[in-house]
Amino acid sequence: MIVTAPKPLDEVLDLITPYSHILIAGCDGCTQPPRGLREARTLSQLLELGGKLRGKAFTFKTTTTVKQCDSFLTASALKPQVDGIEAVLSLACGAGVQTVAELFPDLPVLPGQNSHFVGAEDREGGILEDRCAACGDCLLALTGGICPVTRCAKGLLNGACGGARNGKCEMDPEKDCAWELIFERLEKQGKLDRIRESRPPRNYQAKAWRLTP
Amino acid sequence: MTEPVIEERAAVRLNEQYCSRCSICRSLCPFDAITKDAETGKTLLEIEKCQVCGICYSACPARAIGIINYDHDSLINYLESAKPEYDSQALVIMCKGSTPDLTEVERLFGVSTFIPLSVPCVGRIADEIFLTAISMGLSKVYVLACDEDYCRFDRGSPIAGRRILALNRLLEQLGYGRETITLKRSSLKVKVDRDLCISCGNCVFFCPYGAASLESPGGASFNLASCKGCGLCVVMCPAFALELEHWEKERISALIPRLLSEMKPPRILVFRCQWASFPPLDGKSSPNIRVIDLPCAGRVDAIHILDAFQKGVDGVLIAACSEEDCKQEKAGGQAQRLVAKLRERLSQIGFQDRLHFCSVAPRHYDEFDKELEQFSQRIRDISKKERA
Repeated sequence: MIVTAPKPLDEVLDLITPYSHILIAGCDGCTQPPRGLREARTLSQLLELGGKLRGKAFTFKTTTTVKQCDSFLTASALKPQVDGIEAVLSLACGAGVQTVAELFPDLPVLPGQNSHFVGAEDREGGILEDRCAACGDCLLALTGGICPVTRCAKGLLNGACGGARNGKCEMDPEKDCAWELIFERLEKQGKLDRIRESRPPRNYQAKAWRLTP
Repeated sequence: MTEPVIEERAAVRLNEQYCSRCSICRSLCPFDAITKDAETGKTLLEIEKCQVCGICYSACPARAIGIINYDHDSLINYLESAKPEYDSQALVIMCKGSTPDLTEVERLFGVSTFIPLSVPCVGRIADEIFLTAISMGLSKVYVLACDEDYCRFDRGSPIAGRRILALNRLLEQLGYGRETITLKRSSLKVKVDRDLCISCGNCVFFCPYGAASLESPGGASFNLASCKGCGLCVVMCPAFALELEHWEKERISALIPRLLSEMKPPRILVFRCQWASFPPLDGKSSPNIRVIDLPCAGRVDAIHILDAFQKGVDGVLIAACSEEDCKQEKAGGQAQRLVAKLRERLSQIGFQDRLHFCSVAPRHYDEFDKELEQFSQRIRDISKKERA
């Protein structure tokens, strides 16, 4: 899923202050937690309260989209709603914001979220973690299903670097050393020989900007 | 809890002088709060374990147990004043845990006018309350209890059932006809609107009872037999696809302006878990304060808190049970995290001091009042500062 975090309210208030009639467009898609109708409504309430303290009255309309990055679906969801709207505040990831901006080139489209990474969720611990850099050249089969591109602070394809202490990364003692995790996983699977294989430099040409679905 | 126990504050007390050591209370207490001293044989009440269900009070043959609020005298006083007010000979005694809206009560029992009496657990209504009500001319008594496995006090609903069975037999022998007291059971549970469900799985993760599951395709699905009506899934649903019977979003939203119209500034609205404090039946409320009781603090919804602020409430207090006391598998703890998150966002616009979370228990009858007074003082100070 795409992991996003709400922008601080004062920043959002600064963004929307030039406008009065604002459509808040949520996204039910892959943002986690989903920034759907509830977040749109809660945000409208918070911004209305914050606006009052600044002496500014806003009128909000709230809605949501199934997948804001899908221009076809988003067009059909938002087109009937933008009458009289001066700006759209999007709760989607950056891809969603840009989709709406392309659909409505005359309307200012503002981001309500900061997009952080493609992550996995540990619900028990309440933590979302970076898991995929969308590099286009997946090597998880060689590394016991643990991605060193996102989880090793140095992005090493041939680890470990030797800097880890007690299994923790020398760059961030809170973080496990990805290469020690890979070692343990491969050892468990009896495939430790893979760690001796030298992995060639990443194929950066594989990073695609455009694909046909 | 670090505060020393002060006996005078206890909501349930045992008077040793009257106690005949029959142990009925000990055998009925669902929380093992009543024990027998091995040496002296005396009955002991550990107030820290007590959840104030009132079952022991209603069953003690020696009247050795005293209880604050919903005791014999205040129940009878209520009936005496309510009888002319409602002008009805029907009495409906309902457990707070399963009380639907009153039109639903009408439908359930087929009565159009009745005296409503909502109590924390029908298991605390003693035989003599039923008998006094009937002798007062309330010729038809209806009891709405929770389903047995839904009872917040574990044994309250089954005890009420047995008591009513025995009383009906007795009343029939006395010539009152069959079933003078009618017992029905109900429980308030989650409702899902699958058209709105976005299959995010939040309900599956947050449900403390494992009642929710996700079907693909189709969305959220609930095993209603397992649902215990805490409402946590409802407030965690990002798509407004869930509702809790009787505590629907719109119903709570509609209460806010109605309560606000009766209030004077500074206005304080309390969202309270109905098990965290048992207010007196005839309680007079200050014009500054109104309370919305919820089935569990798990049903406290950020939407309603913000709604209250938008409509001009000066302060919002959330009163929950502590995690140990929570009748809903620690759903109250989730509520605390939710309120903390909302406070963090409110701090970005300078509203954080107007929202406060506290946990209280009915075992010390003044606990809630103390928290409320402290918070009221804070809100008065903020209002004063604003005017200056």
